Amino acid sequence: MTTTAVSKRPLETSQRPPSPQLVQIRDLIYRVAGIFQPDNKLRHLEDRCQKRMQTLGVATLREYYECLTERSIRQVELVSLLNEITIGETFFFRNQPQLDALRNVVLTHLVDARKEMSLRHLRIWSAGCSTGEEPYTLSIMLMEELAGRLQGWTFEIVATDLNERSVAHAKAGVYGSYSTRNLTPEITRKYFTPAGENLQVKAQVKTHVSISRVNFLDDARMVFLKGFDVIMCCNVLIYFDVASKRRVIQHFYNNLLAHGYLFLGHSESLYGINDAFRLIHLPSATAYVKSSERQVAR
Amino acid sequence: MSNERQQRLKQRLENMEEMPTIPVVLVPLLRYLEQPLDALDLQQVVDLISQDKSLAAQCLHMANSPLYGRWTPVDNIRNAVVALGMQRMRDIAVSCSVLTLTPRGGMSIDPSVFWEHSLGCALVCRQFAQEIAFPDPAKAYLAGLLHDIGLVAELCVVPEEFQVAFEQARRLGIPLHAAEATTLGLTHCDSGKIVAEKWHLSADLVAVAGCHHDPRSAHKHRELVALVSLSDLLCRMSGLGYGYVEECQVNFIEEPGFALLLEECPALKTFDWARFTFELEAYMEEVHRLVELLYRVPQ
Repeated sequence: MTTTAVSKRPLETSQRPPSPQLVQIRDLIYRVAGIFQPDNKLRHLEDRCQKRMQTLGVATLREYYECLTERSIRQVELVSLLNEITIGETFFFRNQPQLDALRNVVLTHLVDARKEMSLRHLRIWSAGCSTGEEPYTLSIMLMEELAGRLQGWTFEIVATDLNERSVAHAKAGVYGSYSTRNLTPEITRKYFTPAGENLQVKAQVKTHVSISRVNFLDDARMVFLKGFDVIMCCNVLIYFDVASKRRVIQHFYNNLLAHGYLFLGHSESLYGINDAFRLIHLPSATAYVKSSERQVAR
Repeated sequence: MSNERQQRLKQRLENMEEMPTIPVVLVPLLRYLEQPLDALDLQQVVDLISQDKSLAAQCLHMANSPLYGRWTPVDNIRNAVVALGMQRMRDIAVSCSVLTLTPRGGMSIDPSVFWEHSLGCALVCRQFAQEIAFPDPAKAYLAGLLHDIGLVAELCVVPEEFQVAFEQARRLGIPLHAAEATTLGLTHCDSGKIVAEKWHLSADLVAVAGCHHDPRSAHKHRELVALVSLSDLLCRMSGLGYGYVEECQVNFIEEPGFALLLEECPALKTFDWARFTFELEAYMEEVHRLVELLYRVPQ
């Protein structure tokens, strides 16, 4: 019989199988919020749950699952847990595969579609822009293209957020080391100026970005946001209940041009929410495009 | 590409003189494991695998991976068979056997990327099959593992020509079979069919090796071919491809394989592609680690 020694380190997450309660919580979050934690992120999810359990004085995952489902605090607790899961996710060039897909695949389609409209202009909405890292990242990315495929083009980034303080921060455009940790020296030199310990976004980047406060549930306001090529809405819809989410997605559908793309956050899905958008796969990223059927699930 | 050169390439592939042979232990093992489960003798399986020390060591590496369902270490083949079951052990033994087929060293292309893709595809095929109630998930695993066997043939038999195709695919960010068609005049589906037939693989595996980039061209076993076709594409779009990025966008429900598979598996109609894609993220690191480990085991 062979008794060959084997590696005792299978997968980092595999010291033990995931507990059924943790998988249950993962599935609940996906069902209710539409954000999925794959098996290799379950340890992260467990850490986040443990943190919430400490705050609540709850001893087991089973009890915590009850907090998320049966008890009177379930709505509030789900939001707290989602906050823990997505905490610290705002920084420049955050989701590189998504940005690469946008730049290397989607941009080609947008340029072709806009040329057919005889309009050399792109319009992108950073919906839920938080403190501004995302819209400025997009602005920098497209500015890099102005000498290439977008030569002779113009573009605008419409950035909105519900939170007044975030909007003010975004308008100021001053960022610390956490937000700017992904910036290359070249990008930093070209698009930022030092501001003490921090970095200030240059005016040439800001000039493409308009920032304002918008509530997605304000129908009167939403109907006027029109003609977008791309909507980026990352980790915002997860906080909405299903009915509100459907309402917002219907707005997004109307806000996008026929060739438009909707990008959600990493591991975020519209499954079961909307049939009018079709999921598409891009290299190491997903997005949604308008379906030809144009039926919206209600 | 002249027709004459194309014929010459095909001839070289058909002769397969440079092609490695299947490990000797594999054929009797597979034949033995094809019997009904209750007719199998555990010790016989253990003895068959243990005949080949290198294969046994590789099997243990795989058997300890959570991708095959183990969370506590097993340190010998007998325990592995007991813990995982005969069928899972067959998957592992076949995977280890075919992973040894590519040449090592002396190549500008690292063959491990092809095996990462094949192993990843096998796991995705099995999971996909289970989730849409495809009748034979074990067969789906095998089909996923062997679908790109034509690439192995090209790496071994026409390495320089294949490298030109690979470099073009990488440079342009296009599917490998498209670059092969332009530069070689044939694709790894053509060479895969030749190899699969030479090895006397079952008809469904021949169909998969020969038609996975055009499932509609399969005369039989179209559902299995379609399942592998979709899984292969999903792997390539999710970072489990051939080590380069294919710059394209894919709508799976518009893929030819989707309609074919839907006939066999109605559950596909409401399949959550997004969630399945997110689940794949967990495979990548482990597939990479496993293939690296298996390549380090001395032959």
